[in-house]
Amino acid sequence: MAEKTGTLKLQSSDKVETVVDREVAMRSVLIKNMFEDLGSDSDDFTNAIPLPNVNDSVLKKVIEWCTYHRNDPPSSADEDADSRKKSTDISEWDQKFMQVDQEMLFEIILAANYLDIKPLLDVGCKTVANMIKGKSPEEIRKTFNIQNDFTPEEEDQIRRENEWAEDR
Amino acid sequence: MAAKLPYDKDDLTSTWTYLEAGVDKILRSLRDGVNMEDYMGLYTAVHNFCTSPKPVATSFGTSDGQHRGANLGGEDLYKNLRKYLQYHLHSSVANSLSMPSEALLSYYINEWTRYTSAAVYNHHLFRYLNRHWVKREIDEGKKDVYDIYTLHLVTWKDVFFENVQSKVMKAVLNMVEKQRLGEVIEQQKIKSVVDSFVSLGLDDTDSSKSTLEVYRYFFERPFVTATETFYKQESQQFMSDNTVTEYMKKAESRLEEERQRVGLYLHPDIMSTLTKVVTRVLVGDHATVLRDEFQKLLDLDRQEDIARMYKLLHRVKDGLDPLRTKFEHHVRRSGEAAIEKIASEGEAVEPKIYVDALLGVHTQFAQLVSYAFNGDTEFVRALDNACKEFVNTNKLCKEGSSKSPELLAKYADNLLKKGPKAVEENELESLLSELMTVFKFLNDKDVFQKFYTRMLAKRLVHANSNSDEAEISMIAKLKEACGFEYTNKLQRMLNDMQTSKDLNANFKAFQEAMLDGEDLKQAVDPAYAILGTGFWPLGAPTTPFIPPPEIIKTYERFQKFYHEKYNGRKLTWLWNLSKGEIKANYIKGTKVPYTFQVSTYQMAILLLFNDSDTNSYDDIAKATALAAEWLDPSIAILVKGKVLLSTPADGKPASGTTYALNYNFKNKKLKVNFNIGVKAEQKQEVEDTHKTIEEDRKLLMQSAIVRIMKSRKKMKHVHLVQETISQLSTRFNPKPGDIKKSIDQLIEKEYLERVDDDELGYLA
Repeated sequence: MAEKTGTLKLQSSDKVETVVDREVAMRSVLIKNMFEDLGSDSDDFTNAIPLPNVNDSVLKKVIEWCTYHRNDPPSSADEDADSRKKSTDISEWDQKFMQVDQEMLFEIILAANYLDIKPLLDVGCKTVANMIKGKSPEEIRKTFNIQNDFTPEEEDQIRRENEWAEDR
Repeated sequence: MAAKLPYDKDDLTSTWTYLEAGVDKILRSLRDGVNMEDYMGLYTAVHNFCTSPKPVATSFGTSDGQHRGANLGGEDLYKNLRKYLQYHLHSSVANSLSMPSEALLSYYINEWTRYTSAAVYNHHLFRYLNRHWVKREIDEGKKDVYDIYTLHLVTWKDVFFENVQSKVMKAVLNMVEKQRLGEVIEQQKIKSVVDSFVSLGLDDTDSSKSTLEVYRYFFERPFVTATETFYKQESQQFMSDNTVTEYMKKAESRLEEERQRVGLYLHPDIMSTLTKVVTRVLVGDHATVLRDEFQKLLDLDRQEDIARMYKLLHRVKDGLDPLRTKFEHHVRRSGEAAIEKIASEGEAVEPKIYVDALLGVHTQFAQLVSYAFNGDTEFVRALDNACKEFVNTNKLCKEGSSKSPELLAKYADNLLKKGPKAVEENELESLLSELMTVFKFLNDKDVFQKFYTRMLAKRLVHANSNSDEAEISMIAKLKEACGFEYTNKLQRMLNDMQTSKDLNANFKAFQEAMLDGEDLKQAVDPAYAILGTGFWPLGAPTTPFIPPPEIIKTYERFQKFYHEKYNGRKLTWLWNLSKGEIKANYIKGTKVPYTFQVSTYQMAILLLFNDSDTNSYDDIAKATALAAEWLDPSIAILVKGKVLLSTPADGKPASGTTYALNYNFKNKKLKVNFNIGVKAEQKQEVEDTHKTIEEDRKLLMQSAIVRIMKSRKKMKHVHLVQETISQLSTRFNPKPGDIKKSIDQLIEKEYLERVDDDELGYLA
């Protein structure tokens, strides 16, 4: 197994290098697998690990999250299936962490997906879900700046089909 | 995302060309290492391809239409990867075709190691595919889509394994055969093949689980077959060149060797099948030859070889049954032979020699059972059966099985009796335990009981028991073996003796209070034993007797005392068992007078000489009123001991002979015992005992029958006989004919009635 102590260098797509504790970097399954595959004794690890899909500002945010959550226990498979999907509860720290502009929010989600950091991906998706919750289609469109490309007829039909789900 | 990519992430061909180069490098030259840029590049390429928006219309199956919303591209990468792996493995197969099997084995292992480590890499590099597209396909129930690592294994099995496994197995089996023939082999190689075959066992219904199917079919099956062939051949060859004992050693070591082989480099799953086959070929197929040797080993007392044979045949189903039969037979013959040997030295055998001979055989074979047969309960039973046989039926028991219990009871008496031969107390306990070993084998426990009771009575009455504790311990042992009823009388006898002790003390106090000094001086110092009627196997005297006046006062006093204490009880005086001591003050020449220990009858005779120095036979007979059968031997002993001188000198005790007191009596001891049992008397007693046994058995049978019928009310004749036999078997083995007689008698006495032809009813 990979050593948990020591530090690693991460290089963002815009070529900025950041030094992080190994333990923090290991929250990313991508980095963890690579670390194990290439061997912890490899000289390679004195060089920075290139992350061509994440830019520096997003990477900093991700590292911030990983540092805070460095000691979280790994979630079990059962938890994965049930509680994660059902609840939209987000811890206070994570809520605060996610108070960023929309573009950054989506960047974080994409980075979490890329770096394979499941809990962060979940938090990001839940945040988006909470933004949608309780809003009308018009409000949602407004929130995410989506253009309505339905014709009035199409929209009417969809509304009729989903009438059962409406709140009365 | 400023970096320029070496491929077009929207285009399959471009992306795959990039990926294939990377994957190829990993598969072919992983040892040279992969650098971080390439690792990240490949992972990112998979990620980018899967996340880039592209038209939904691809060519893989119909399920794509269901992927509404999310674009889960990746199918094309999956298919390309599979195609590449197939291609790669086919070229490996091509390389292997010309290889001899030994080389192929090494090649297989090298390829396997290389391929599986690459598979781990690829599994991680294509993780994005695993997480999304593959997961979705599997969740939707696709059976032919696997995670990337499993895809590697499946492809390996379909392409490489299918083509080379039989050659690989041939190499493996060659190596194993070499090892069995004593060569050193690289067994790690076989271990690698086993591990590989085990890894290939994928559960069709759930690819995350593994099964042993592949291993069982492609490895275990041929391995076991080859093993069987090898040992079939070897065992036949070895058996024809060597002795059976040598063969057993060989078989034992081969079995152990195969057991170890499993631990060394095989999968534990093979253990039971392999052991079964090897055992069948090495032991089962030769069982008859082995068993035929058994008698010889027993005769030579080759315990180690016997133990080995037991261990071997123990593994075979029903392998031991014939051994057990032979063993039982052998023990029985040994027992019979041991008795024959001592019987050849004369008919009248010492009880100790007899019991020692029985015990010797039992001890010898009990030791064999525990050493060679591992204390196997079936063999213990065989031993017990054999002992039962020779204890009850042997040369010395020709007349019937009652000789053994008689001798055993005598042996017990010798152990428990005070005497010059008496053994130490701590040794006594273990001897009694040994005695119980023989006792348990007796059929006629009732005979033992009869003799034992008589002898115990004598020991108690004559106060020559070696130790009270030993008596109690022996009775406890008998009680444990046969139950309360069996020892009830024995226990009561012991109790009587205890009660009598207290009574004597009371009587002494009573006497001291009643008599004045003069009377006390004249009174004899008596001791009484009150024996409960019915518990003691003692009869009242068969002769009239006039007790000498000297003791009349005393015993009348006791009678008075006793009747005051226990009103209404009848006392019968067993003069025939009484005894006393008298001092011979008339003999000059010694400072301290001689003391004679005599029976009460002899006492009565001698006391007559206080009044007159000579008495005729008729005088004596008249004064004592003793019948000749008691009087004559009593006198004879006194004459023989030179206390009395007869006239004529050689006169038989009969009318006309006169007796005079011998004033010149001399003896080395000051205390002389004349109270010696008469030989003829003892023999008579043995015969009487045997006679009463027959009577008692009739009673036992009748009471058992009545007991059974009382609870059952109605019963078939046959069943009643069976039940009676089983109830009485702890005491003796009743003959069906005798039971029938008893039933007839009970019908006559109207305890039972015939209901039907063969059914009996109980009459209350």
